Amino acid sequence: MTASLLQAPRLHRTVLPNGLTVLVLENPVADIVSARLFIRAGSAFETAKDAGIASFLMGLLTKGTEAQSSMDIAETVESVGASLGTDAAADYSIISLKTVSSDFADIFALAADLLRQPSFPEAEIDLEKRLTLQQIRSMQEQPFTVAFNQLRQAMYGDHPYALPGIGTEASVTAFDQDTLRAFHQRHFRPDNLVITIVGRITPEDAIAQVEKNLGDWVAPASLPATPVFPPVTPSGTCTVTTQDTNQAVVMVGYTAAPVKHPAYATLKLLNTYLGNGLSSRLFVELREKRGLAYDVSAFYPTRLGMSQFVTYMGTAPTNAAIALEGLRFEVERLRDTVLSEEELQAAKNKLLGQYALGKQTNAQIAQMLGWYEVLGLGVDFDEQFQEMVTAVTLVDVEAVAQEFFHSPCISLLGPEAVVGPLAAELA
Amino acid sequence: MTTTVNFPASVIRLDNGLTLIHQEMSATPVVVADVWVRAGARAEPAEWAGMAHFLEHMIFKGTDHLPPGVFDYAIETQGGMTNAATSHDYAHFYMTIAADTLPQTLPYLADLLLHAAIPADEFGRERQVVLEEIRQAQDDPDWLGFQAMSELVYQNHPYGRSVLGTTEILQQRSPEEMRCFHQAHYQPHNMTVVITGGIPLDQTVEMVKHAFRTFPAAPPCPAATIAPLPLAQGVHREVLSLPRLEQSRLCMAWVGPGIKQLEAAYGLDLLAALLAEGRSSRLVRELREDRQLVQDIAAGFSLQQDCSLFTIQAWLEADHIDRVEAIICDRISELTATPIPEPELVRAKRLLCNDYAFSTEAPGQIAGLYGYYGTVAAPDRCLTYVPIIQGYEEAHLRQLAAQYLTPLRYVSTILRPA
Repeated sequence: MTASLLQAPRLHRTVLPNGLTVLVLENPVADIVSARLFIRAGSAFETAKDAGIASFLMGLLTKGTEAQSSMDIAETVESVGASLGTDAAADYSIISLKTVSSDFADIFALAADLLRQPSFPEAEIDLEKRLTLQQIRSMQEQPFTVAFNQLRQAMYGDHPYALPGIGTEASVTAFDQDTLRAFHQRHFRPDNLVITIVGRITPEDAIAQVEKNLGDWVAPASLPATPVFPPVTPSGTCTVTTQDTNQAVVMVGYTAAPVKHPAYATLKLLNTYLGNGLSSRLFVELREKRGLAYDVSAFYPTRLGMSQFVTYMGTAPTNAAIALEGLRFEVERLRDTVLSEEELQAAKNKLLGQYALGKQTNAQIAQMLGWYEVLGLGVDFDEQFQEMVTAVTLVDVEAVAQEFFHSPCISLLGPEAVVGPLAAELA
Repeated sequence: MTTTVNFPASVIRLDNGLTLIHQEMSATPVVVADVWVRAGARAEPAEWAGMAHFLEHMIFKGTDHLPPGVFDYAIETQGGMTNAATSHDYAHFYMTIAADTLPQTLPYLADLLLHAAIPADEFGRERQVVLEEIRQAQDDPDWLGFQAMSELVYQNHPYGRSVLGTTEILQQRSPEEMRCFHQAHYQPHNMTVVITGGIPLDQTVEMVKHAFRTFPAAPPCPAATIAPLPLAQGVHREVLSLPRLEQSRLCMAWVGPGIKQLEAAYGLDLLAALLAEGRSSRLVRELREDRQLVQDIAAGFSLQQDCSLFTIQAWLEADHIDRVEAIICDRISELTATPIPEPELVRAKRLLCNDYAFSTEAPGQIAGLYGYYGTVAAPDRCLTYVPIIQGYEEAHLRQLAAQYLTPLRYVSTILRPA
């Protein structure tokens, strides 16, 4: 089940003369083609002033080109029942599409046009701004989101990862056609693109579609921009939001290795050990044995820059203090408690097995391959990652825990009577 | 033992009454086992509300032979995953694993389902977890809105109750009551085992027969109290003022046909797509893109056993609520009065048929589909979806709209910032 995608002889990787990378995997099983168009630029290029520009721009791509209006575009896609969406992440942005195979050529041509020639109509900018500002306000309705935004801000300070991908009221209000055009011109260029196409299509046909629509796009002479990351130092601060919620949210975040760091695979393994699934340590110790939470878990996102290792739970307000103590204890005990060989092997099996299960649909495969390529890891990373995980030793686990699991930032949300005293105690 | 044909899966009724659905997908090394039980919240007496969902949690707490956590550990350390879900019409338990580990893992899953021990100490602890789940839901304005709407629409019918139950009721329940509910309902005639993925039929039949062979005798158990669905009369409106709300919601709901009238139900699904699926649909185009009266608008259709529910939900500023509600009523009336242009109908049909194709790619998706239909109707009924949708003519659709979507009879739930 852990077989690598690379062992499949069907993966074709081509770089066009203009620098555009194309990955194609023919999978004839279902009459579906999924494609992902990755742009090597995400919110990591933003500052406080233009926070949210990548996300805003991606949203506007489908709202008008030189030749087509927003409604024309929607009708083209919806009339054939295709799906076409855009998104911006920290380290990349993306157009995703899925069609039955006979509609692929038309919808791919449309996606290529959106990528290359967006017109950013003024009226659409105004509408999108209004919708985005409301969405920013609506984030306040979800306690978990509020607690996480606050944690991220505290952990990252001036680093671009500090800000929510959607931006802030101030930054979004200031967006205009010029800022959008400048961002587009700077980052949207063929040598900054990776396109993955997976499904019932031959590699020859897929590559021909890409060449036809994007082959004549010339890359500028200058090198593409790369993000600059300021250093992140663990600050050990505690931030608090008081709200009269039924549950308190407790989050503990540690600064954690970027994807190209040697500790990456070990931290992924520790994330699995602590927070992934019904047999994970946090789930068993804090939910199954102590009934403290319904939702208790951990996450460690894959990032080009400094990442974060976050554990969290929602719990009855009166349990907030023991929840915090429990989360910290389970993570930080790994600094001086050596896991058993059996625990390590169990975590490896779990991580590798679930990794394989994450490659079941055309869309999942297209996402993963393109993502590795656009991050500069290459498609070989699919196999390398599995080898790295397999090679992790108990000594690695302890060393990595000692390196990263200290001075966490803490984020608390809940009724004043509970989180107030708890925060005061930590200060 | 009878076998049904003309369906890519095999449907086999075992001698003890258990239904097995199997479909081999040779391209995948993965197998999904998904066990559906006709024991959702609809099977509960009202005073046991929340029992079916709480039981779903307790199933994972082991048997006399299998201590708590052993099953989860076994599945996950073999690289698989497992989980469960409870609705009004069903509870289901599933695992996704490497095909070659099914012979070792399926007996565990069967043991949990057939012989859950429901130990008293675990019962007390897990109740705390469910109470946390309720607390978390109560911090979610959309959950509160959905709950208020369900109560108004269904009144005393079980669909009006939350699957989670209430803290008060759960505090009064005992492990003995839960064992009774479990043994009464987790019986072969109530269960469908779906196996899809990289495993052949013969091997699967033997495995399932063996794993699901010893059911406990069904004890007497308080019967479900299924109050009749209320007769919809007039317009019922409820306004909730919620703290921390940043944006108002308007949710309009109509009761539609149940699973026995599948053709009509699918027609309403088509009407939902026509009205509000995608930017070029009627309501999204008019209210969000052109008139900019809403932040977003969506139509939903959910099929259930006793009745379906058609909803139109808008996210908007509080001072636009009345106007938007009036416009939606107008558009619903127009729907019945004016012929639907062919391209619009074709668009909605393709959206739904492609969605169906896109959501039947992986073994887990297919198992879910068969299990759901097997539980509330018959497994092969899902195959009628695409032909029925394709066959709809505009006059027939308008007739359906006139029958079910009248602006004179609906429930409207409004959430406003306090």
